[in-house]
Amino acid sequence: MTALDDLSFTLPRGLVGLVGANGAGKTTMFRLLLGLSRPTEGAIEVCGINVAADPIEVRSRLGYMPEHDCLPLDQTAADVVSTFGELSGLPARAARQRASDILDLVGLDEARFRPIGGFSTGMRQRAKLAQALVGDPELVLLDEPTAGLDPLGRDEMLALVARLGTFGISVIMATHLLDDVQQVCDHVVMIDAGRLVVSGGTASLLERTGLVTVDVGPAWEQLIAHLTRIGLSATADDGVVEVTVAGDGELDQLRDAVADLGLPLYRLSTRLTSLDEVFLRLAGSST
Amino acid sequence: MSNVGTGAVYDRGYRPYEGERGLRGASTYALYKASIRRALGIRRSWRQKFAPFVLLAIVTIPAVVNVGIGYVTRDRGIDRFEIITYREYVGVSSALLLFVALVAPDVMCPDRRQRVLPLMFARPLTGIDYVVAKVGAITSILFAFSFLPQVVLFVGNMLVSDSAAHYFTGHLDVLWKVPVAVFLLAIYYAVIGVAIASMTDRRIVAGAAVIGLFLVTSISSAAIVGDFRPGHGSAAGVINVLAIPLYLRDLVFLRHVDPDTPLTGVAHAGWLALGTYLAVLLLGIGVLLQRYRWVER
Repeated sequence: MTALDDLSFTLPRGLVGLVGANGAGKTTMFRLLLGLSRPTEGAIEVCGINVAADPIEVRSRLGYMPEHDCLPLDQTAADVVSTFGELSGLPARAARQRASDILDLVGLDEARFRPIGGFSTGMRQRAKLAQALVGDPELVLLDEPTAGLDPLGRDEMLALVARLGTFGISVIMATHLLDDVQQVCDHVVMIDAGRLVVSGGTASLLERTGLVTVDVGPAWEQLIAHLTRIGLSATADDGVVEVTVAGDGELDQLRDAVADLGLPLYRLSTRLTSLDEVFLRLAGSST
Repeated sequence: MSNVGTGAVYDRGYRPYEGERGLRGASTYALYKASIRRALGIRRSWRQKFAPFVLLAIVTIPAVVNVGIGYVTRDRGIDRFEIITYREYVGVSSALLLFVALVAPDVMCPDRRQRVLPLMFARPLTGIDYVVAKVGAITSILFAFSFLPQVVLFVGNMLVSDSAAHYFTGHLDVLWKVPVAVFLLAIYYAVIGVAIASMTDRRIVAGAAVIGLFLVTSISSAAIVGDFRPGHGSAAGVINVLAIPLYLRDLVFLRHVDPDTPLTGVAHAGWLALGTYLAVLLLGIGVLLQRYRWVER
């Protein structure tokens, strides 16, 4: 069975989203990057190192957070993260110190001496992230880091991932949740059934739709009526007005309408396509 | 005035690590240490510490009793009384079989059951390193638990003898024979225990399999060999995998197989025992390397 086929791309430093449906080949891609599986054809370079030639050197520069539960449940978070620090090549004392720092960073400072078996799903995800970071990797591979998290936990995890970029750590985040990628990643690789759909900057993939979103609060009906009178096409979506504008002149008309009515302007933004729409369109056209 | 105590929360951010960093050797050693900690129950609840240290106490009892009797009888002008010799004590240490059945599964099975292996092999660690660390950890503990009682016996005997210096110089051969024999026993049991434990992710199954292997082979051997007289043993004695390290112990201490064993009278019994020992050891290592070969496929 072919898990990945004819993939060729170069990823920049920073936060990269690896997007695909379940079974698209994301985890296989991670195994290839870690040197745990070997491609039947082609070559992979990670951090400038050929993975097939020196997988040990590659792994010493990577951190990996699997999707599934993978931590010893009968040990404390401090012990587990410290041990994985040592396994990453750090001296014992440095590993203990870094384990403490990293658990603090991911928000587990007060739970560090509790067995992982008593952790909630969110805490386990944080502990998994901590073990991936403790070796001070250049690149972290995160496999579905928000899986199983409630909305608050998901936001907190994504905020943590976003912070990694500011620390100089590159991230490849595999997920099937395009919203997560859109929220934190600078670059997106989309794969479908083991084949590359598209690879590019997140901003460049999000196209303008010709719609402008206007939030004027409860008076949205009044605004729609006014815009219709002056010849602009406007609809409402969950209390937010979406106006079709063809150019700068119509955008000026919209601005003047809000001013003339004396309405509060909470938000005025250009509506872009979502990554979901991009994925569905490109994946559909490639099959 | 300091701001400490005003309730401010400081984000310490992230500090890159700029110190020394080891590669495979360091990772293997780290896994070796972690496995020893786990086996001895260190940084775990008291229940996990109970079994290993009770067992250590049990295997030390013969040494303490022997030294105690020596102390009580030291001034009575009778010949030195020995309830156990250094050679026999290596055999008594085979009570550590129970320890292997408890500890080898505890060190191996949770890695599979809790799916920790992908995390380990995402480090600078190969399947061979993993096997070396695990077998090394169990071997080290078995060696320590077999060797420490011998040290107690030796030091105790030396102290209760008429002349400690004379006892020491008179038993210099023990200083190399005991560690060599104990090492041969320790690595043998460790490889078998770890190899069996690598076949399943359930500790209870692995422990039962270890004990079952030793029981079945020893009963089978006894059934085939039957009652034997010195000089009339059978080569089927090597079927008993539990006893094979004891034949090597005899080779170390006596330079021949003990006539009181089932191999008595068998031609080239020493070579047969050595060959069987190496075959079992290589088979166990082969199973382990095959088991963890998938890591880099």
